[in-house]
Amino acid sequence: MDYKAQLKLQALLDGELPEGEASAVAQWVAQDREAAALLEELRNTRGALAGFDAEVRLPESREFFWSKVERGIQRLETPAPKLARVSYFSLVRRLLVPASAVAVVLIAGLMLIPPAGPTGHTIATEMETALADSGAFTYRDYSAGATLVWLSYPAEDEAAEIDEMGTFD
Amino acid sequence: MRAKLIPGTGLLWLSTALALLAGGELRAQAADMKFQAFLLWGTDNSKPPEGKTYKPIAVDIRQKLKELPIKWTNWFEVNRKDFAVTQGVVSEVAMSEKCQLNVRKLGDSEVEVTLIGKGKEVVKRKQSLPKGEMLVLGGNAPNSTAWLVVLKRIE
Repeated sequence: MDYKAQLKLQALLDGELPEGEASAVAQWVAQDREAAALLEELRNTRGALAGFDAEVRLPESREFFWSKVERGIQRLETPAPKLARVSYFSLVRRLLVPASAVAVVLIAGLMLIPPAGPTGHTIATEMETALADSGAFTYRDYSAGATLVWLSYPAEDEAAEIDEMGTFD
Repeated sequence: MRAKLIPGTGLLWLSTALALLAGGELRAQAADMKFQAFLLWGTDNSKPPEGKTYKPIAVDIRQKLKELPIKWTNWFEVNRKDFAVTQGVVSEVAMSEKCQLNVRKLGDSEVEVTLIGKGKEVVKRKQSLPKGEMLVLGGNAPNSTAWLVVLKRIE
């Protein structure tokens, strides 16, 4: 018996054959002992397996289940995006943006805020003193915000002749 | 791309720096400095000399003088001048017939101060003088008294 004939017997057992073909196959089985034996064996086998078929129920609808399978397949087939190659210049440029902001703030601060001295007062920077008076001294009081330059001018003998340095005349 | 961005960033930096510098410089040069100059006479006596109508000095000046190492207890105002200094112009302020103060603005808060006594330059000094601070020039005077020229920046 060839494979096609065996499939015919299986189809007869499963009730998948059209009515005319089913009667022809039934007639053939009735006349052929080998075919009848195979059909009987198939029937016994199905009967034996039927009791062991566990009923599996899906927790979701059939359409949803298969759509999940389809999406999974598509996900696997989609090539993973390649990581864009970040150039050294791009990294430097990314750093430049915040660095620029910080620098602008610092420059603006330096331009707008006067320097503070130890007591919070601005520093009066002594830059240069050209004194004709070698006996003079300079004193700086940061808390008072005052600079004193004390001069020995006018000389004692000169002062004795005039009124102070001539200032009060 | 690189050739375009580097000049662009550099240009931005340069523009920002120049704008800030120019703004600061303009701001520094634009405003005049305003000062008060005082000619003071110091003594341990409680009254000015006879025949003189010197006024007691302002309270804020007295407070600051107390902080300085000057021994005299009483100070009297001989003369007072209010004046402004413009960038590039020397302001000549006569404190008395023989005492003159020359003030020149050098920068935002920097000044050059020259004290002239009897036509001679006694001292020339460059220093920063922010608002509210003062420069005191002084010396001994006959009979254990003293003279002061106080330059106070008021604006």
